[in-house]
Amino acid sequence: MSARVGTPLWVLLPALALVPLALLLPGLSHGGGWSLVGRFALAALRPSLDPLVLGSALRGLGVTVGMALLGWALSLVLGLVLGALSSRLVWRQCSGRLWPAELIRRLLALPRSIHELLWGLILLQLVGLQPAVAVLAIAIPFGALVARVVSDQLDALPTSSLAALRTGGVAAPAALLTAMGPPLLPQVLSYGGYRLECALRSATLLGVFGLGGLGTELRLTLQSLLFSELWTGLWLLLAAMLLLERLVGWLRLRWTMPPRLSLSPQATEASGRDTASAVGRSGRELLLGAALLLPVLVAVAWSLEVDPRSLLRWQPLPPLPPADWGAVAALPWPTLVGNTLSLTLLAAALAVGVAPLLLLLVRPWPLGRAAVQGLWALGRLWPPPLIALLLLFVLHPGVVTGALALALHNLGVLGRLLLESAEHRGETTEQALLSAGSGPRLALLYGRFSALARPYLAYGAYRADVILRESVVVGLVGATGLGSQLLEALSSFAVDELAALMLVYAALTLLGEDLSDRLRRRLLAG
Amino acid sequence: MTTRERWAVALAGLLLIGLLPTACSPRTDGNAGADGATSEAARPNEKRVLRIGAIPDQNPEKLNRLYGLVADELSEQLEVPVRFVPVTDYTAAVSAFRTGDLDLVWFGGLTGVQAWLQKPGARALAQRDIDRSFHSVFIANPRSGLTPFEDQSGLQQLKGKRFTFGSESSTSGRLMPQYYLTQAGVALSDFAGGNPGFSGSHDALIALVQSGTYDAGVVNEEVWLSRLREGKVDTDQVVAIWRTPGYANYTWVVQPNLDEEYGRGFSERLERAFTSLSPDNPRQAQILELFGAETFVPASNEQYEAIEAVGRQIGKIR
Repeated sequence: MSARVGTPLWVLLPALALVPLALLLPGLSHGGGWSLVGRFALAALRPSLDPLVLGSALRGLGVTVGMALLGWALSLVLGLVLGALSSRLVWRQCSGRLWPAELIRRLLALPRSIHELLWGLILLQLVGLQPAVAVLAIAIPFGALVARVVSDQLDALPTSSLAALRTGGVAAPAALLTAMGPPLLPQVLSYGGYRLECALRSATLLGVFGLGGLGTELRLTLQSLLFSELWTGLWLLLAAMLLLERLVGWLRLRWTMPPRLSLSPQATEASGRDTASAVGRSGRELLLGAALLLPVLVAVAWSLEVDPRSLLRWQPLPPLPPADWGAVAALPWPTLVGNTLSLTLLAAALAVGVAPLLLLLVRPWPLGRAAVQGLWALGRLWPPPLIALLLLFVLHPGVVTGALALALHNLGVLGRLLLESAEHRGETTEQALLSAGSGPRLALLYGRFSALARPYLAYGAYRADVILRESVVVGLVGATGLGSQLLEALSSFAVDELAALMLVYAALTLLGEDLSDRLRRRLLAG
Repeated sequence: MTTRERWAVALAGLLLIGLLPTACSPRTDGNAGADGATSEAARPNEKRVLRIGAIPDQNPEKLNRLYGLVADELSEQLEVPVRFVPVTDYTAAVSAFRTGDLDLVWFGGLTGVQAWLQKPGARALAQRDIDRSFHSVFIANPRSGLTPFEDQSGLQQLKGKRFTFGSESSTSGRLMPQYYLTQAGVALSDFAGGNPGFSGSHDALIALVQSGTYDAGVVNEEVWLSRLREGKVDTDQVVAIWRTPGYANYTWVVQPNLDEEYGRGFSERLERAFTSLSPDNPRQAQILELFGAETFVPASNEQYEAIEAVGRQIGKIR
C-alpha cells in the first residue's frame, strides 16, 4: 500500500530534468534575439493575407495532407499484412512452426528503426524527386510500426474462441479471421487513427527537408524571417491538424474504441472484450467509412500525381568513390553517441515530466488550461527543426537547444494524450477528494493522475524511443550528435559515412526500443 | 432500414457520385501530365516539359516570382513548355538533378560541382557577371570585440568566438569561408563550443549575428549588400570585418542529354537565351533585376576547379 501512495508523484519525477536545464540555460541564452522572437509572436496576429501567399500555402497544405493520407493508408495495409505475418499465433495455427514469425518480426525492426526523413532521402537517391517518395517514406516505417502493434495485439488476445472454432473443425484462416478479427479491430482502428495524426506531422516534416508540401514554405519563410507569411501557413496547418484530431477523437468515441493510453497487451484483454459488441453495431458505419475512403485516396493520388510505377524505375547511383573506412572510424563516435543519448534523455524527461506539471499548475484556472492546450497544439504543429531554428534566435546551438526543440514538440503530443486520458479516468476519486476538502491541485494529482501514472510513464518510455529516432531531424542546428553528422554526410554525399552512421543509429534505436519495452513492461506489471 | 441507415446510404451515394468524376476525369491542364511526376525514361521525346529548379538562397516569394518569369521567358524563346520546380534543400536539388528530375538548375559553386560530378556530361551553362569573381563577407557583432581587418591573418581573431556558417552546402556561406579560415590557421574546433554553427540561411545568419547569438558569421556578399541597401541591417549591431578574395560561384547547370531530347543545338539556344537577356526588354529587365545581374555570361566547368579542390580538401566532395 505504501508504494501506491507514492505513485502519483512518479508522474512528476521526470520533471526533475528542469533543474539541470535551469542551471544550463542562463549560460546558453543571450538577450539579443528576443526582439526577433517578439516579431515572430506578433506576426501571429497579422498573418499575411496576400492572395499569392495564401494560395501557395493552401496548395502546400493540400499536398501535405494528401501525402499524409496516402502514406497512412498504405502503412495500414502494409502493417496489417505484415502484422499477421509476424504473429506467432497465426503461424502456430497455420503451419505449426514459430520461427518464421520471429524472423519476420526481427527483420521488421530495421525499417522501424530508421526515421521517415532518412527513408525519404534514401528513396530520393534511388527513384528521384517524385511525390511517391514522401508517401513511401511515411508508409515504410509506419507500416513496420503498425505491424508490430498488430502482431503484439494478436498474440496477447485471449484464444478461447479460436480454440473452440478449431476443435469444431474450422480451417485455420477462417477461424483466425472469425475469432481474432472482431476483438482486434477496435485496437487497430484506435491505433490507426493515432497514426493518421502522426502521418500529418511527418508529412510536414518531410516538406521541411525539401520533399514537397507546406513544410517547404514554412522553412523558407522562417529562414528569410518573413514571419507574417510563415503564420499564414501555420494557422492553416493548425486548423487542419485540430480538425483531423477532432474527427479521429469523435470516431473513436462513436465506435467506442479504446483510448490510446491503454494500448498495451494487458489492457487489451479487458477493452477488447468490452468493445467487441459495440463494433458489431458500428460495423456498417465502418464499411461505409472504408468505402468512402477508397475513392478519396484515388482522387488524392491522382491530383498529387503519385505514380506507383515511378518507384520501380530506379535511377543509376552516382559514381561512388572508394569507401574510406579509416576516415569513418576516425569520427568522434563516443561523443556523437553520447550527445545523441543525452539529447534524447533530456528531451524525453522534459516532455514526460512537464506535461502533468503544467496541468497541475493551471488547474485552478480554466483559462490557464486553455492556454496550455493552445501551447501544446502549437508544439505538435511545429516540426522540431523549425522549433530549433526559432530557439536559435535566443539560445546557442548545441545539445540542449536540440533537446528543447524535441521536448516542446513531444510535450504537445504527450500533453494532449494525458489530458485526453485524464478526462475519462478517476473523475469520482477527484470529486471525492475535492469534497473532502483537498485543494484542486492535490485532488487532480491524487484523484486522476495516480490511476494514470503507470500507463502514462509506460507511454513515456515508448516516447523516449521515438525521440531517439527523431533526434536526427534537429541535426540542422548543429546539435553535434549523430543527427548533425548524418546531415553533414548527406550533403557531402559521403555514402560510406552515411551507411556507418545509419547503422549506429539503427543499433541505438533497437537497443533503446528493447530498454523502453522492458521498462514499460515493468511499469505496467507493477 | 432505419431512418439513420437510410440517411447514411444516401449520403454515401451522393459523396461517391461527387467524387468519382473528380478521380477519373483527365486533368484539364495539358502540360501537367508530363511534368515532374513521371520519370525521365517514360517521357515522350516531343514537347517534354523543361523543368528548371533552384537552390533556396532567396526568400520564397522572390524565388517564386523570379523563376516564374524565367520559365515564361524561356518558354517563349525556345518554344517548349517550361516549369519551375521549387526544391528546399541543397542535397535534394543535387539529387533531383542527378536523377533527371530537373533539367536546368541554378546551382551555387559547390552544389554545381557536386551535380556534374554525379551526372557526368552535365555542364555549367551561363552565369551572372558578378559570379565570375564572387565574394563572401565576414560579419561580426561589435559587442564581441571583433574589429575590421585588412589581412587574411586577421581571421585568427575569430578563435574562441561563437561563429556560424550559413547553410552546410553553401559555397559562399560555408565552403570558401572555411577554406580561407583554414588558410589563416583557424580550425573549426577553435571556435567557442568546439564547433561552428549552421544558421541555415543568409538572412537568418545576419539576424543571429545582429542579435548576439553568434559573435561572428559569414555571408554571401550579394545578400549582405542588398540587405544593407534595403535598410534591413542594424549597422550598430553588425558590421563587416573582412571581404574574401574572389571565386567563381553561381551558375546554371544543364543536363547532358537535352540536345537529343529537344533537337540539335538546344543547349546553345538555351545558353543564348540567357546571355542575350537585355535590360531593354521589360520582362528581361525584371529578370536581370531580380537576379541582381547586369548581364549573363557563358560559364564553363573549368572555372570551378578551385572550388572542386577546396571541396575535396574539406570533405564536401568525396
